[in-house]
Amino acid sequence: MSVSSFAGPFVPELVLLAGTLLIFLLDVLKVRRIELTGGIAVAATLAALGVVVADLGFAPLAFLATVPASQIDVAPAAGAAPLFAFTSFGLVFQAIFLLATFFVALASVSRPSDERGAPIFYGLLLLATIGMLLVAIASDLIFLLLAIEVVSIASYLLVAYTRKDVRGLEAAMKFFVIGALSTVLSFFGASLLFGAYGTTNLYLIRAAGTAVGYPVLVLLGYGFLIAGLAFKVTLVPFHAWAVDVYDGAPDDVSAFLAGGTKKIGVFAFFLVFLGPVLAVGAVGSSGYGLFGGSVALGASFQITLGALAVVTMTVGNVLALLQKEMKRMLAYSSISQAGYMLIGIAIGTAPALGGATLQVFAHVLMKTGAFLVVGAAAAIGVGPLIDDWRGLGLKRPLLGVSFALMLLSLAGVPLTIGFVSKFVLFSAAVDAQGWFIWLAVAGLLNSALSVFYYARVLKVMFFDAAPAPAGAPAGSVVGGAGPPALPLGGIGYGRAASLAIIAALIVAFGIYPQAVLGAIQSAAYHFVTVGA
Amino acid sequence: MTDLSLPGFLALSAALFGIGVFGILTRRNFILLLISIEIAMNAVILNFVYFAAFPAGTSGLSGQSIAVVLVGFAATEVAVGLAIVLALNRLKGTINVARATELKE
Amino acid sequence: MSLEELAFLALALVAIGTATAALLVRELVHTILWIAIFFVDLSAIYFLLSAPFLGVLQLGVYAGAVTILLLFGIMTTRKRIFSREAVTGIGPVPVALAVVTFIFLASALGELPQSTTAVQSYDPTALSQNLFGPNGPWLLLLGLIMLAGVAGAIYLVREGRE
Repeated sequence: MSVSSFAGPFVPELVLLAGTLLIFLLDVLKVRRIELTGGIAVAATLAALGVVVADLGFAPLAFLATVPASQIDVAPAAGAAPLFAFTSFGLVFQAIFLLATFFVALASVSRPSDERGAPIFYGLLLLATIGMLLVAIASDLIFLLLAIEVVSIASYLLVAYTRKDVRGLEAAMKFFVIGALSTVLSFFGASLLFGAYGTTNLYLIRAAGTAVGYPVLVLLGYGFLIAGLAFKVTLVPFHAWAVDVYDGAPDDVSAFLAGGTKKIGVFAFFLVFLGPVLAVGAVGSSGYGLFGGSVALGASFQITLGALAVVTMTVGNVLALLQKEMKRMLAYSSISQAGYMLIGIAIGTAPALGGATLQVFAHVLMKTGAFLVVGAAAAIGVGPLIDDWRGLGLKRPLLGVSFALMLLSLAGVPLTIGFVSKFVLFSAAVDAQGWFIWLAVAGLLNSALSVFYYARVLKVMFFDAAPAPAGAPAGSVVGGAGPPALPLGGIGYGRAASLAIIAALIVAFGIYPQAVLGAIQSAAYHFVTVGA
Repeated sequence: MTDLSLPGFLALSAALFGIGVFGILTRRNFILLLISIEIAMNAVILNFVYFAAFPAGTSGLSGQSIAVVLVGFAATEVAVGLAIVLALNRLKGTINVARATELKE
Repeated sequence: MSLEELAFLALALVAIGTATAALLVRELVHTILWIAIFFVDLSAIYFLLSAPFLGVLQLGVYAGAVTILLLFGIMTTRKRIFSREAVTGIGPVPVALAVVTFIFLASALGELPQSTTAVQSYDPTALSQNLFGPNGPWLLLLGLIMLAGVAGAIYLVREGRE
């Protein structure tokens, strides 16, 4: 009897749910050591990752596969309205999401082992991951938005989980209000689309395209959806909350927010707006409306999304250049990266979506890693300012080398995954011809701009003299009554392993991108041709 | 059979949604923020209910299903928001208490 | 104008009035009063739309549970729940976008059918079959949301001895 016969294709979600419930059960039994709960979370995430990778057709793990290949990338029967569907594109994103959770879960094991919040942290982390996996299989607008809400509710509480930290709780409150606003906007948009199309199924909406009774409702519905989802992806007019929340949240949670949950917004953008971007022809032919009667649906969405992408990357980079604090600089750089990813859906061709997906993958490695390094630095008593990092690169080779690789990759230096993803994305934009070339130009200029602030950090870390030790010697936890110092000079094995894996992957995929590029490109091709 | 027309409902839900979003953007008090969120959420639910009653397709039954689910979701959201603000409130309260004892000494 | 339309007009005006009043009155307890009337009023609109199940749900969950929850929140926190800044980091651009959007919304009113039509009503049995049948995954997702919300909320407000 194979695994799939009784659990169906939802084994990854069920494994994570089992992990969550086990962690909560142990919490009730007062078993709260972070090594144990963290170990359960890491194991569950790894198991789910194995299953997803097997579903993607990775031969050595084929015995784990739970979704029959005949069910992947299949267009639904005409008129059918499935709530979820398995696409190779969604599976690629599931693997990316699980990777982000894995890095965060592994690194967090290195927190003080008697931490009271460990069970709730890992439980909510796994619940959020279940939501992320469900986002990636959605083919219905309401299913998608509800799955996003699973992630949102869990992440508000993750930001607040320290419970005794005013900064974290205030960040959580702000996150909650902005998240609720974004939720309401998205659902309002979905309700207008439901009113216009009579369904919330993305296949049916895409099939109906411009043949719709109430065209202004359609435009409005998509407009509200752009606004609602833009909050989740931190696109520029809707970005201001992100920096405060990433800054105020516990470091490991920031890593999860910037590296993980933000990507569900990117995927939702791909899923929801592929329909209108690819739509041919105009909506609205009668004599009303502000556009004088008709709007070319596809082109107007491409221009809107393209403009949002360029504004986002530019504003994010310029503001990152001005920051003095490490976490805030990383947050702004994360905003600008969202702009690059949006280029993919603005163009809407398979190579561009593939490039954007590779960018998402690269960003998970780089940004999760960067925030985890910040967490490690805070754990060994380094201050929040960039200037506090003077000389750290030489004193702490592991932190220095891995952080340098992440920053070089963020800047797009060759032989790193960041270079490959930008190269694929921008060349897809050039191949698409027309005004899309300007998107590539804007992206290249922005990459050049971003080199400045990454290079500044590298200079501070490797070429400036270390500050004279002020109080406690580096390497011990500040505060005499604190928990005993972790191994590896306060970093801990879990975090060190997580950082080493990320650094190795950044270089490995930078040198040999073919390992993932082919799978991602074919998934993007199926995504564009077969259906949502 | 009830006979009604659609534009009135869209106008009502747009007005309620506008009031809700205005409240989210301008109110300082967290309870008022929660109430604003609920007003906007009710506009969304109203949207689904009346579009189910005036369906664009053959049947709008799933619109009512969505409305049922959203009622439950909105209640959860209120509970989570209140939990965050209660934790914050307790923390600031204890901070004040600590300061008060410091002053006494 | 038929009786139904008159009833709808009255209910709609009450809804807009109470929603506005709830956000404008000074005393928080009065806010709760207004919002309770608002919830009951919307429930009446659902009955008017031949959706009795939703009407009852609205009464139970909103007029009942959510109102009590909000009242409870006011009683436990008193006046100390003011956030430091009013607008949570939202610049003028989204506000301007909102204004543009509502102009659009007004223009959408023109394209809808103006004549009155019969409201389509559904059997509660059909609704439950839809909710627990083909659209069951929505309820499962709601369950996940509630699991995350309840677990986290209990942890946050529990008095922990550490």
